[in-house]
Amino acid sequence: MNMHILTKIKNMKKLLIISLCFPLLFSSCKKDDVYELNEVNATSYNANKNKLKSTNQYISIVHANLFQQALSANELVEIDRCIQSIGDKQVAHEIILSNFMNKGGVIIPSDSLMRDDLDLFIEETYKRFFVRDITEAEREFFLSFFESHPNVSAEMVYMAFSLSNEYQYY
Amino acid sequence: MKRRTFIKKSTLGGAALSIPFILPSGRLFAATGNRMADHVVFIAFAGGVRQQESVLQQYLDGSQDYPSSGNIMYNLLDGAAPTDKLVYGENNSNNENVPIPKLLSQTLQQQGTLFKEVNASTVGHYSGVNTLLTGNYMYSQGLRVKPLRPTIFEYLRRHQGEKATKTWFVGNGIGNSIPLLDYSEHESYGSQYGANFLAPTITFGDDGEKHLKNAKIYHPDDELDPMYKMKYFLDNVWYSQGNALPDIGNTIEEKAEIKQFVKDMFVKKENGTVAHPPYAASGDGQTIGYACEVMKRFKPTLTVVYLSNVDSCHANFTSYLKSLHGADHAVGHLWDYIQNQIPEMANNTSIIVSPEHGRNLEPNNIKDANAFWGYDHSDANSRRIFNLIAGPGIDSNSIIGSESNGVGDIVNITPTIAEILGFKDDVINSGLVYNNNSLFDLI
Repeated sequence: MNMHILTKIKNMKKLLIISLCFPLLFSSCKKDDVYELNEVNATSYNANKNKLKSTNQYISIVHANLFQQALSANELVEIDRCIQSIGDKQVAHEIILSNFMNKGGVIIPSDSLMRDDLDLFIEETYKRFFVRDITEAEREFFLSFFESHPNVSAEMVYMAFSLSNEYQYY
Repeated sequence: MKRRTFIKKSTLGGAALSIPFILPSGRLFAATGNRMADHVVFIAFAGGVRQQESVLQQYLDGSQDYPSSGNIMYNLLDGAAPTDKLVYGENNSNNENVPIPKLLSQTLQQQGTLFKEVNASTVGHYSGVNTLLTGNYMYSQGLRVKPLRPTIFEYLRRHQGEKATKTWFVGNGIGNSIPLLDYSEHESYGSQYGANFLAPTITFGDDGEKHLKNAKIYHPDDELDPMYKMKYFLDNVWYSQGNALPDIGNTIEEKAEIKQFVKDMFVKKENGTVAHPPYAASGDGQTIGYACEVMKRFKPTLTVVYLSNVDSCHANFTSYLKSLHGADHAVGHLWDYIQNQIPEMANNTSIIVSPEHGRNLEPNNIKDANAFWGYDHSDANSRRIFNLIAGPGIDSNSIIGSESNGVGDIVNITPTIAEILGFKDDVINSGLVYNNNSLFDLI
């Protein structure tokens, strides 16, 4: 008797499985769209900068950035003293940087090269100075700014980035 | 007393001054007092000065057991100069020491009030100048840290609404953490009320010649304007993430003025036309020359000048005497320059002279080339200083206190400056000064 009941239950199970799988036979034939994303390495919005550069760090980094070569130890000390001697640090930095710009050897794109591809120029400038990707809002601002200020030069853009507060951080 | 007469007479002017106006910060401002003068020059003099060689006029008698006494600060103080063993002048063409001729026809003592014996409880350079500028003994504060209490610059700018270029702190160098004294870390004050600091012996010295002199001056409209617009945008993005840098609040126009000033000083230096004292071989003399130029250009409401050459006393007493004599000459020149070369400040400026501390009674064991002993600053004699004030409404030819009866304390300087410039009540009401008395309150 017990054996009979067990066999009955087994048969019912089989029927249940078949009935559940029946709709799948049709639905599995339908091909779904598959979306794949390419991996992009993007730096975060502020590139995790939260430490203020010391005067020495700032000067050696901005010099290396503009001249693509290191500042000598003596010059670093002298420039540090000059910056300490002027209370308004923005004024001090501006004078030091404009002094750099008056020297030969600053590696800076020509204005025509800049104007040839403003999008690429500003993208690379963000990477060069801020070590991060430009956001769309920033891109929009600069492209529209360059359009409305046709005489803005690459030097002026580099000065603005070098003097910016974000560049004081790492 | 003249100050009282002055206050009575200036009631009408005071009424006009008391009309409220809006500060640049947007806060409603009402002046709290009458100004005795529109400008104050405060000389932190000159790196640790012994009473014995200054007001007591003992020269070598009080330090080297050599019987020659006299006054080597004859622009500041009354008294005849020494006549024997003169080691304190400038070298002439024969390499002989020749005292610098007296510059002022009337000493500052004759023109003002001398507090002959004043207490200075801190005996370090940074702590001393910190105390002078904050009106507080900052015993618990270390070096290389900005003042914890507001400086007189911040009180002035916050309560009187002065522009940044109306407050200057001109220092003889950048040692002893001196550049940190342009503003404090106090939460209610801080950088936005700070002074413009300048150490001209560096800015216009060899380092500046090399790294500042050839700076490009960008065109204000065609170049600077778009440059600043871009920077403004970048800073705003950065600020939106909660990051901001300390800023003493010079406007774009003020920054341009400072840059032009720097440029002009290099030209003046090259032409030999900087307003230096006639004898300005020392750093103090050079510093005073550039301080004169700052005042001529910006007509500051408050100028603080820090001189420090006499600190050579640790190891070279001869140099100390020369520096003391030179600093006296330099201060005399500065006062003369204000009265004769800056019409906007002439007869409308008060001067305050105060060492940041004294020096020891007993010498250390270092002898200089003249076999004179050096003096450090650590014992009770180092707490003895003098103060000298002169200007509109200040008694002339007056001496307060004596060697046996000290009157005044180094913490009285901040309220004194505030009283001259008409905002002493604001300083007192801040509750952040050690003592509410100005030097005037002690007369």
